[in-house]
Amino acid sequence: MSKLELFLFVVAVAQLVFVIEFVRRRKLLEGFAVLWITVGFGGLVLVVARPLIDRVADAVGIAYGASLVLTLGIAFLLLVCMSLSLHVSKLESRVEVLATEVAFLRGVRDPVAQED
Amino acid sequence: MSALAGLLVVIPALNEEATVAAVVRGARERLVADVLVVDDGSTDRTAEIAQAAGAFVLSHPFNLGVGAALRSGFRYAAERGYTMVLQLDADGQHDPAWAPSLIAPLDEGVDIVVGSRFAAGFHTGRLRRLCMRWLARIVSRRTSVAVTDTTSGFRAFGKRAVERFAVSYPTEYLSDTVEALLLAAAWQLEIREVPVEMRPRQGGQPSTGSVKSLYHLIRLVLVIALHRVRQPIDQRRH
Repeated sequence: MSKLELFLFVVAVAQLVFVIEFVRRRKLLEGFAVLWITVGFGGLVLVVARPLIDRVADAVGIAYGASLVLTLGIAFLLLVCMSLSLHVSKLESRVEVLATEVAFLRGVRDPVAQED
Repeated sequence: MSALAGLLVVIPALNEEATVAAVVRGARERLVADVLVVDDGSTDRTAEIAQAAGAFVLSHPFNLGVGAALRSGFRYAAERGYTMVLQLDADGQHDPAWAPSLIAPLDEGVDIVVGSRFAAGFHTGRLRRLCMRWLARIVSRRTSVAVTDTTSGFRAFGKRAVERFAVSYPTEYLSDTVEALLLAAAWQLEIREVPVEMRPRQGGQPSTGSVKSLYHLIRLVLVIALHRVRQPIDQRRH
């Protein structure tokens, strides 16, 4: 195992450990955990499957396996960001609806009696 | 009953303790109307001061934006059976003396009356003026009504507009004025513009800096470009 492979291996394992720990502490929803666990395992696969990656890269006409991984990685991250933006948009509009409901549930305060 | 019965003055307010009392009193002196201050998450004494000045007060738990405050105002109006809403800024820019000329067209069946600064000779920076002209041209074309001051927040709304906007009103900055007109046109509501004079703000901070303004303007371009093909805003969807 080369130094690079060892480094990638450690990073992937550390990521899995962190994700599982966040789920254990109930800081991360299981749904998101599934995503990041998949990414962690993907990292592990990359470590052991470098010859395969080079062959795939060659097949699709990309000179270096590393370029293929980077390209796919960036595309994947963009997708994740998009889906998070969608999530946040939905949450924002829900928060707005809830905050308005809270305001109405608390009720409208009547004017303080005027002396005139 | 006076011609103004059933009128609710809605004043969205965010940290306007310096000016809100005068605005509330001004509206109550000039108009036969109830006054609702929608306190949009103020951290100062806006709500108490408005209440003491004779306004009904609805407080958002935190800041949601002028559009959301207006929507709450429309909802309150619709729930309580008010047939007209007059929108007034809490910073004192809008002189209630002009209110009657905004409200009068409602009796003729107009749904939204926009008070325009330009019609009465309004001067502003060149860039801002250019943007406002461009907005005016687009909105006028889409609504088939000549509107020169699309971002004016000095407006009066009739019953149909109040009921529509109570459930669905655009809440983001600039959308709350410009997009609302496009929505109104799509709903076949009748829009009219009347000239008004506005005073310089009496206190408080202007809403945005220039970078933020640019962002909001670009956002608005997207809103306008997509307006015709977008699904309607529906707060009940969630």
